[in-house]
Amino acid sequence: MERETSPRRHFIKSGMLAAASLAAGKTLSAQEQVDPEEAAVPQAGPIATPPAASNTKEGTVRDQYDGFSRFKPSRGNDPDSDYYLGKLVPGFRSTEEGPAPFVAPDLEKLPYVMKDGAKQFELVAQNVRREFLPGYEMDVWGYNGSMPGPTIEVTQGDRVRIIVHNELPEPTTVHWHGFELPVQQDGSMTLTQNPIMPGKSYVYEFDIHEAGTFFYHSHVAMQEAFGMVGWFIVHPKKVFDPPVDRDFGLIFQNFHIKANQTISNSWAMDWSWHTINGRSGPFTTPLVVKHGERVRIRLLDFSPMQHHPIHLHGHTFWLTGREGARTPKSAWIPRNTELVGVAQAAEFEFIANNPGDWMFHCHMVHHMMNHMVEQVGPRIREGANVDAYMTNLDQRPPVDMKHSEGFATPGYPQGMQGMQMSEKFMKAIWSRREVQGMRATWPKSVHGLMTLLRVLPDDLYQQVMETDDVPKGAIFEEIVQRFGTPGTYQKAPMMKMGH
Amino acid sequence: MDGNLFLKTLAQVATAICLLASSASGQELAPTAKQKIEQLLTEPNDIGLDTAAPGTRWDGLAIGQSNAAEVHTLNGMLELAARSNPTILQAQYQITGQLAKAQQAGLYPNPMIAYIAENIGVEGTAGEWQGAELEQRFVTAGKLQLSRDKYLQRAKVAEHLAVAQQFRVCNDVRIHYYQTLAAQQILDLQKELLKTAEDDLATTREMFNAGQANQVDLHRANSELRRQQLSVLQAENRIRREFLQLSSLVGMELAFLPLSGDLHAASDLIDYDTVAQRVLSQSPEILAAHSKLREDQITINRESVEWVPDVIVGGGVGRNFEANDTTGALSVRMELPIYDRNQGTYRQAQADYIRQQKEIRRTEMDLKMRLAMQYETYLSAAQHVLTYEEMILPQLKQAYATSLQSYKEDRLAWPHVLHSYRDYTLRRIEYTDQLLARRTSEVLINGFLLHGGLNPAPGAIPPGHLDATPNPR
Ligand SMILES: [Cu+2]
Repeated sequence: MERETSPRRHFIKSGMLAAASLAAGKTLSAQEQVDPEEAAVPQAGPIATPPAASNTKEGTVRDQYDGFSRFKPSRGNDPDSDYYLGKLVPGFRSTEEGPAPFVAPDLEKLPYVMKDGAKQFELVAQNVRREFLPGYEMDVWGYNGSMPGPTIEVTQGDRVRIIVHNELPEPTTVHWHGFELPVQQDGSMTLTQNPIMPGKSYVYEFDIHEAGTFFYHSHVAMQEAFGMVGWFIVHPKKVFDPPVDRDFGLIFQNFHIKANQTISNSWAMDWSWHTINGRSGPFTTPLVVKHGERVRIRLLDFSPMQHHPIHLHGHTFWLTGREGARTPKSAWIPRNTELVGVAQAAEFEFIANNPGDWMFHCHMVHHMMNHMVEQVGPRIREGANVDAYMTNLDQRPPVDMKHSEGFATPGYPQGMQGMQMSEKFMKAIWSRREVQGMRATWPKSVHGLMTLLRVLPDDLYQQVMETDDVPKGAIFEEIVQRFGTPGTYQKAPMMKMGH
Repeated sequence: MDGNLFLKTLAQVATAICLLASSASGQELAPTAKQKIEQLLTEPNDIGLDTAAPGTRWDGLAIGQSNAAEVHTLNGMLELAARSNPTILQAQYQITGQLAKAQQAGLYPNPMIAYIAENIGVEGTAGEWQGAELEQRFVTAGKLQLSRDKYLQRAKVAEHLAVAQQFRVCNDVRIHYYQTLAAQQILDLQKELLKTAEDDLATTREMFNAGQANQVDLHRANSELRRQQLSVLQAENRIRREFLQLSSLVGMELAFLPLSGDLHAASDLIDYDTVAQRVLSQSPEILAAHSKLREDQITINRESVEWVPDVIVGGGVGRNFEANDTTGALSVRMELPIYDRNQGTYRQAQADYIRQQKEIRRTEMDLKMRLAMQYETYLSAAQHVLTYEEMILPQLKQAYATSLQSYKEDRLAWPHVLHSYRDYTLRRIEYTDQLLARRTSEVLINGFLLHGGLNPAPGAIPPGHLDATPNPR
């Protein structure tokens, strides 16, 4: 009963229609049949802003597969079904359109020229300044002004030529991680080639017969610890089925950088900063997808020595491949959390059937912070604050030895009080289109190896990605309106959250 | 502190010690389970400064702590000392004494009057001659004037020495004033360290409760706090001593008031050659020594005429009973300098003159010696002060500021901030000591290296002086 009358139900139907129009022209298979019950739901409803069917394509993609729905949380009826948990549920995009564009948020793509039958890239190894968080510019090493380096993207069967220029003060080589290439091209320093000396260049050239998730990195250990890595994505000649609508790449890294420092201690056995594609939460850029899309996330752990159990909220994903190769479908595993080890890549695929703003993060608690500091001192003392100390550096305020009520509880304080987010900091955090309309307090919860997956109905996706000045909380509240229980929703306090 | 107050204080100390002992033992008495947990988790044994034996506190000593609007000033102290320091008065009486000697030494000898009866009983007479005779010694060769000059010259020596004594007193008053001032500043800084030690304990408790510190750390923090409390008490005791000493130098009982003033040097860097020349040419000690040499020259002159015989002339009128006639009498006497021509004393005076020449040399060398030592102290202190001001303190202050900022940004743990502030404050105490050392040396160098404002004011005769004629001459 609830399904038929709630506005949520209505939206799902509307969204389905929108989605259907998106995939216009695609022929219906025997399995793709519309639920007559759902089709009977009238389109008019109480929603103020009915979703527009913005996509002009005519839809042939279903929303129901053996009990699995691409538009609502669901599992399906049969674990052995091809559609269980959306396993083989296709995206809106057809395989004929080729692979979905690969997107590594906050990273550039490395351009190439066709020369002598090869895609010719130029990589410059150099030191790089990278803003991990607004106002926190770190000195790391990378390629072409970027850390991680720019993405090399090719297609299976290409011949590639990569000219590497060494602008570092020490020798380097580049290793093409995972490729079955001629040994001279492997980039193992001194084992297979002489080092590329400072100021010198070196040309790598090889044919690519494999497809999948690869990366390139310096083959000098300390240079690796300093961030010298980049994606090397090889799209298959024959697009993988089922086709995905989104193809994201995230590189997870760790650094140890002291306070008031910008240079990582590459000898440290510890961490203090974490980055995803060179940025730390909440400066990481959320992955924004449309409700019902099939999403692939490729994830590389390039930390010096930390493995990451990666967890996605609100969805169950299929582990469809590791960095070795795409896994045969029979061996795909449904997961909530996948442990990704150092130098390993993993591919997650899922249908974004649950609208909202979802955490996507490493589950190691110490990796969910930017720089962990013991929470003692004025920070946790009643009536005390650091500014009082800063106003007079020659005399310090007296200490009140009395403790707060909570202090009687062993373990107090466990809550990290969080860093002070300045106006400027908050402005930078909110300046990205991808975060428009999120709850005002969201930056407080996203730190370190954390980013967000935003699953938005078409119209909200449009608002976020194509219009400006969406008020804080507006998109989230709209999702609560449509898919949640608005009666119990409490707005985030606006406080001084920037802008 | 009078006797009653002292006894009362002693009783307070004793009571406080007893209280401490009983509270400590009370904590060991089987606590209830609840108490035990709280004590373990949040109430580690620690005793704050408030519980320090009250009689051992010397409150209200730091600037800013006294409610009195009045303060002591250096000039006020110097004026008081000039009036009340006993040695300055002593020095003045040394001059008076020499002037009195000069007066005495220049007095003309009194005439003698005599009644004379000669040959009593001759021929049955009462005496052949009876009469009165007046005798006068005529001093020759300007002996009296020379003697007077000699003691007048000694009075000049005493004047130079009185100036030296004034320098001794004023230098000492200045030095002790600055010492008290430094003690005030150091007490303030020790109190800053005390607040930091209290914070360290609070922080350790917080860390203990968060599992980041253990009982060992708590014991350490407790003992560190107690140690810092002792440092504060010591700083208070130091002010008390300094102030009492200053009071003694001034020569009267002073009510304790905070001192106003600045420990910074009054002048630019002192040049050694300039100051050495000044000290060697203008030091009252040198001037006194030269003055004394002149006195010794006069002594030689005086002793060189000592052999010149005085003429003693006597005359009178009497009755010659034999001749039954009134007759007169006349005598003229003088010593024949055959054996004693005062050769020994003359040589002694000559020796003393040469000895005094060496005394001048000795004084110069002694001043050089003292100046060398003082200048070394001064130079080291000046170098310290300069480097602390230009580099060390700004760097440590910046380190503290940066660590605070880092803490604010949640990138540094609080104990690091405490450490920075402790560092900064400890170096500020060192800086204060160096300021004091520089100021002290500056006072001594500019004040002809004289100190010891409560030593007896010396007389005009230097140690080793050969004075074989105790009677003024
Ligand atoms: Cu992790």
